[in-house]
Amino acid sequence: MDLRPVAVGLRRKDREELMFTYTKTLQYPVKIANPNPALAKFIITQYGGPDGELGASLRYLSQRFAMPYPELKGLLTDIGTEELGHLEMVGAVVHQLTRSMSIEDIKKAGYDAYFVDHTAGVFPASASGTPWSASGLGVKGDVITDLTEDMAAEQKARTTYDNILRLSDDPDVTNVIRFLREREVVHFQRFGEALHAALDKLDQKNVYAMNPAFDAAAK
Amino acid sequence: MDDQTTMTTQQSDCGNYKGALPQCAPLAVSYVPMQGSNPPAYQSGEALTRGTLFPGLDLPFMNTVNTSNPYAGTPLGELMALQFIVKELQLYLDTHSGDADAFKALQSTLRLCEEGRKKYVQLYGPVTMSDLTACQSYTWISDPWPWDYAERTGKS
Repeated sequence: MDLRPVAVGLRRKDREELMFTYTKTLQYPVKIANPNPALAKFIITQYGGPDGELGASLRYLSQRFAMPYPELKGLLTDIGTEELGHLEMVGAVVHQLTRSMSIEDIKKAGYDAYFVDHTAGVFPASASGTPWSASGLGVKGDVITDLTEDMAAEQKARTTYDNILRLSDDPDVTNVIRFLREREVVHFQRFGEALHAALDKLDQKNVYAMNPAFDAAAK
Repeated sequence: MDDQTTMTTQQSDCGNYKGALPQCAPLAVSYVPMQGSNPPAYQSGEALTRGTLFPGLDLPFMNTVNTSNPYAGTPLGELMALQFIVKELQLYLDTHSGDADAFKALQSTLRLCEEGRKKYVQLYGPVTMSDLTACQSYTWISDPWPWDYAERTGKS
């Protein structure tokens, strides 16, 4: 094949930065020795539940388009991207917990309702079986509102991971969940700092005088 | 955040586990204390295992922490640890862009990460598409993929 370079002038180093690209590693190791579909039944909620990683990534990656300040565009992009990595990790946990199951294992764990619809596939649904829905995330197009939503979202995800830690009796699983839970704490801190920075740019006598994600552009 | 904002909120000495709040601030909004500049940091492997680079933000449930991770001490584990430091410093710098020490730390970690990835790719195959420039054939699709139980840890 004779392929001429299309992007003339792009240096070799620039290529990796052109778009979303895949890195063929997880953010944190997932290595679960013992399959256990009973645990997968509720951990799936962080894949496709209301406070799960799919909603988190889409919340932040969608909110950033309306954001007027560079540090907010950066932070929402960088945390949103990390959440996609967490989605992959939770998917890996569910996959490894449900690998090489026998029909007996499935029945004993009460995994039959999920199994009949999805076999051993990883489907974005909540622990109660409700398929993933965008109604679990908010994109209001307002700087203060969206960042306040993000702080609450990180707390909801942290509580969910706390509850998973209460229920999990497998050290290989809790090792991964502790990592994911700690990331929620760090993200809460960063969103709070970002809100702080945004507030500093607003009218200090009335921070609600206008919405800088909409009104500044109209000036 | 511009440098002035950083200055006004981060000069007080609150220690590692507390941050600075403005003396006066607008009503009816949320304020999270700002993490101070140049905060203490864990070593790379410990940071990955604990889920944060910063001891001040390490707030575990029931005060129970991970003491290791499954790939600690393997080539893949070391690469993951460096990638994790890069991510933590990126998020920190997004809200502390004026912290020159953190920026230098990011640059040196990125260099280590690049070197580490090259060595890893020679042993176990590509991590990104551009790594294929150093490979003999199209090994991008080779097993194991990251979610497979058997990863490319170097332990076999």
